[in-house]
This record gives sequence, structure tokens and C-alpha cells, in this order.
Amino acid sequence: MELGTLAIDVCLFIALFFEVFLLIAFFERKPSTKTREMPKHFPSITMVVPCFNEEKTLKSTIESLLQLEYPKEKLSIMIVDDGSKDNTRKISEELAKQYRQVEYVFKENGGKYTALNLAIERVQTDLIGCLDADSFVVKDALIEAVKKFESDPAVMAITPAMKVHKPTTILELMQSVEYTFGIFYKKMFDNLAALNVLPGPFSIYRKEVFQKIGLFRHAHNTEDMEIAFRMHAHGLKIVNAHTALVYTTVPTTLRSLIKQRTRWSQGFLQNSRDYSYMFFNPRFGHFGMFVLPFGFVAFFAGLFTAMYAAYHLIQATSMRALDMYLTQIPPHLSPVSNNLNWFYLNTTMTSFLILVTFSMTIVAIFLGSKIADSKITAKSLFSYFAFFGFIAPFWLARAAWGAALARESKWR
Amino acid sequence: MRTMNWQKYALAFIITAAIFGTAFYIAYRLDRARIADIRATQEAISIDILSTETQFDLLGRLDCSAISENPVLSDELNSLAERLSIAEQNLGADDADVIALKKQYSLLQIKDYLLMQEISTKCKNVKPVFVLYFYSNKGDCPSCSRAGEVLTYLRQTYPDLRIYSFDYHLDLSALHTLESLRRVNGEKLPAFVINDRMPIYGFKSLDEMRTLIPELKNLATSSTALLNP
Repeated sequence: MELGTLAIDVCLFIALFFEVFLLIAFFERKPSTKTREMPKHFPSITMVVPCFNEEKTLKSTIESLLQLEYPKEKLSIMIVDDGSKDNTRKISEELAKQYRQVEYVFKENGGKYTALNLAIERVQTDLIGCLDADSFVVKDALIEAVKKFESDPAVMAITPAMKVHKPTTILELMQSVEYTFGIFYKKMFDNLAALNVLPGPFSIYRKEVFQKIGLFRHAHNTEDMEIAFRMHAHGLKIVNAHTALVYTTVPTTLRSLIKQRTRWSQGFLQNSRDYSYMFFNPRFGHFGMFVLPFGFVAFFAGLFTAMYAAYHLIQATSMRALDMYLTQIPPHLSPVSNNLNWFYLNTTMTSFLILVTFSMTIVAIFLGSKIADSKITAKSLFSYFAFFGFIAPFWLARAAWGAALARESKWR
Repeated sequence: MRTMNWQKYALAFIITAAIFGTAFYIAYRLDRARIADIRATQEAISIDILSTETQFDLLGRLDCSAISENPVLSDELNSLAERLSIAEQNLGADDADVIALKKQYSLLQIKDYLLMQEISTKCKNVKPVFVLYFYSNKGDCPSCSRAGEVLTYLRQTYPDLRIYSFDYHLDLSALHTLESLRRVNGEKLPAFVINDRMPIYGFKSLDEMRTLIPELKNLATSSTALLNP
């Protein structure tokens, strides 16, 4: 067997093991359905909205928070302006004037983590939530999150189920399927007590988390990932509230998408290096034994597979062009009967494994849509399978390059 | 320290390995089915050839009109080369079954070639154009695959063109005899023997092949063959 094909089979084994492991986790404990039950107590909470030049979406984000089904006296909203240059300040001041729940704080630009830390140092509520200024919560999201804290005192932070806000373009539809897949695997990571990120849109912490492990760090521009790593390092429990829904806007251009994902991927690599002692360390449970190593291997396996496929595609295309030039055979189609005959189908072990991996990904996406009660259209599925595999290698390569050079990734 | 459920890892590994095993088994069974398919086709062709030979022996003459309408080298033998090539790609050139099938295929081609030569001598209305093509897939003939493409295209264009392809290095005494009879030098592959002329060596483009085989002008093309059945 050719060495490259062997390496692809190894990558497929890893991908299949990952999917099988998550499916086992799913069948062990299926996600619960939403109930009408209300929490017995309503802890006080401050929702922090860090923002930098968010004039387009800030108002809608704050309005979605104001519409949360939660006692008004228990819910405060703090907009922390990280030195915006646009109309963010004006909009925020108007909102603060209009609603007593809303407080506006302006600071010099220092990065998202500094905005969050400023808020954490000021507030005295039981819980502190974070909501990116381009995201919108569903009315009962906070109730659903609080129920998780109430059901288990050991829970120190919760993550929501994230969906894409009104996807219309091919790029947005592609991301909507990716987020749906994310809903599935994040819920399974929850089953394994191994959630690896507390995303900007609607993650909520007990105040004591920061007293125990300190404030947010720069963390290679992925403070939401690093805080999850640090919580695992200190044995603090993170759970996923899959019934707490939040909609987030996603990059609308290829350039901004690649930039965002490069930051995430590079952040993963660099945080993994900072927390390398957790890899294959059973002291950190499935997070150390499964999520971290597989995330790391998947990164390079994805990169290798893309490079291998690109190399063969370029080689085959150039060889074909050279053959046509040298043989002088005019372009023609093979006899149709050959294409229909089973004999000529690609039936190698690798092609069957690709088919199984593909089918299991569809199952995972379907389960993700069931968990979050969302609909997946044929168009969005097509967008995902037709384009994701071609686009993702760009940010993987850029992230690997950036991490190798220890170059800082960009926010926007 | 958190409690670890190692059973989950073992179970996931077993299931993944089982999926791999199943994929390997299905691929293996289909490859064997291909071999069986090729073998069955070869047996059918073998019977065809034997039948023509027997008819020749029994009657001492041939029904020339029947031969010109129903050539011995059937479409099946044409497609057999492609099928054998697929099996060779999947199972490898060193696979014992593939080698055995290639030997059998080469023998069938030689028999068909000899028979057609005899027929062309006896029947004035049958004037076949032969190309004996010698290739190597041992890495010493980089342009053999391109030469094969040109011949495949010619065969598709001129259904009456009789192309016989041989792996020069195949360990088959009948083939070695043919090679020495036609004075084919294995160090200059690819080699072409057109009708009874001297071997031509090296890659030839489509236009060059057309110049080398002027008899092609007298053969019907696939489109005219379809229009005038």
C-alpha cells in the first residue's frame, strides 16, 4: 500500500474513532428535552457585553437581553466599550439612559479580555455572563442556564447551544451546519465532562470561578478557550445547557471567516502548548485523554488530508493536460456502459471508510439539529459538504504557520 | 482525580476496528468478484476461439462471410484489457490471480491473432489490421501508459482495428516466442508491430500512429459503424 494512502487510512481511523466515541457518549446519556419547570431561586446575574465598534448589532443584542424572562431586579446588563471609534458609545449611552438595568462603561482599547476583567472586578452578582455584541439570546435562555446551576452546585460555568442568526448566503448556510454539528459534539463533550471552550456568546460563570482561578488572560486572543482549559486544570465543572439558545452572527466574507477561524485554530494550538501537561493525563479525565489529543491530531490530520488531496488533484490535472498535449487525443467521453458497470466503481477500503465517515457526520448533524430543535435544509447541507473541506485547510495552514512563528493572530 | 471510563475507549476502538475490518472485507470480496468476472469472460472467449478452430478443423475451410460479420475478437476481449487493468490497480501487479489472468489473456490474444492471420489468408474479404503492442509496467517504460491511451482511443474509433497488448516481462513461453519471432527488443519499450512489419519503438502520438497505420483509412469508424450496421 502506498504510504500516502496508509496515512489517509490512519486519519480516517482517527476520525471514525472520534465519531464512534461521541456516538457511544450519546447513547449512554441522551440529551434531555426542555421542560416548563422554573428554577426555585433566581440568582443575581450581570450580563457583560464587551464591545468594540459594534454599532450595527449592539442595540439588538441589548434588547434581546432586556427581553429575557428573568426577574428584572436580578438581571443587570453592563456594556463595556473597549474604546470604540464608531457610534457604539452614543447607542450605549442612550440604552443606559432608557433602561435602568443597563450600565455603560467606557475604557481605553485593551482587548476583549480586559473589558471582561473590568466588569468582573466591578460586579457583585452571584453569576456573571458574557454575551458578544453580535449575538442574540432566546427569551428563556437564562432560565434554562440557571436551572443547570441549580441542579448541581458543583457546576461552575455553562455554555449555551449556538445557532447562526438568519443564515442566507452560502457561507452563512455552511456555518449554520457547522454550528449544528457543534451542538452535537459539545453536548457529547458535556457528557464526557470535557467541554473545551466557553464561547463569547452567552457563557455564564459563578462569580467564585474568578476568585478561585483568577481573571481572563490574553491567551493568544482566545480567552474563552483558555478559561475552559484553566477551569479543567483546577477541576472546576463546566456543563452545556443545550436548551439555552443563542443566535450569533457569523462572518459574511471568506476573508473575515478565515481570519476568525485562524484565530480560533491558532489559539487552540498555542493554548495546547501552554497546557501541554494536560495531554494524555488521566488526572484531567476525558478532557486530557480524549478532547485535547484528538483536537490536536484532528488539526494536523485535516491539514495533511487537504494537502494530500490538493497534491493529487494538481498532479492528476497536470498529468492529464500533459497526456492530452502529447497524445493529441481530442477530449472525449468514456463509453457510458463502463461508467454504469459496478466493475469500474472505486471499491477500495479507503473509499468505503470515507463513505462511513461521511454518513456518521450526517448522523451527527442530524442529532445536533434534534438536540437544538433546528432545521437543516438541503441547501445548507450542500453548502457545508461542498465548501467546508475546501475552505478549512486555509485557516488550518495559516494557524499552523502563525503558531510556528509565534505570530499573534488578528481579531478582525 | 476524575474517574475515567476506560471501557468507552476500548468499545470505541473495537467498533472502529470492526468498521475497518468490514470495509476491508467488502473491498476484498469485490476484488475477488472482479477476478471471477474476468475469469468467466476469459472462459467464454476461450470457447469462442476453440469453436472457430474446431469449425476450421472439421470443414477444412471457413465460412468467410460469417467470419467477416462476426469477428472472433469480440468486444468482450476488448473490454477484458480494461477490466484486467482495474484488477491490476486494485490488487497489485504481483497478485497471483492477476498474473494468472494476464497469462490466460495473453494466450487468448495470441491464439486469436494466429487464427485471424489464417483467416485473412483464406478469406479474401477479411483484411484485418493488426497492432501488437508490447509494454512494461515495471517502471522502465514511462510513456507506456500514454501509448496505451492512444491505442485505446484508436480501438474505440476503429472497432475493426485488432490491437493485442502484451506485458513484455510476463513469464509466458508462448509470449517469449512471439517476441522473438517479431524481433521485439524489450529495452526500447513501448514497441508496436503493425501487421507483419518490423517493430516500431517509442511513444507515438495519435497523428503519428495514424501515419504509421495507413490501413486505418479503409476501416470504418465507430460513428459510421453505428450509422451503417
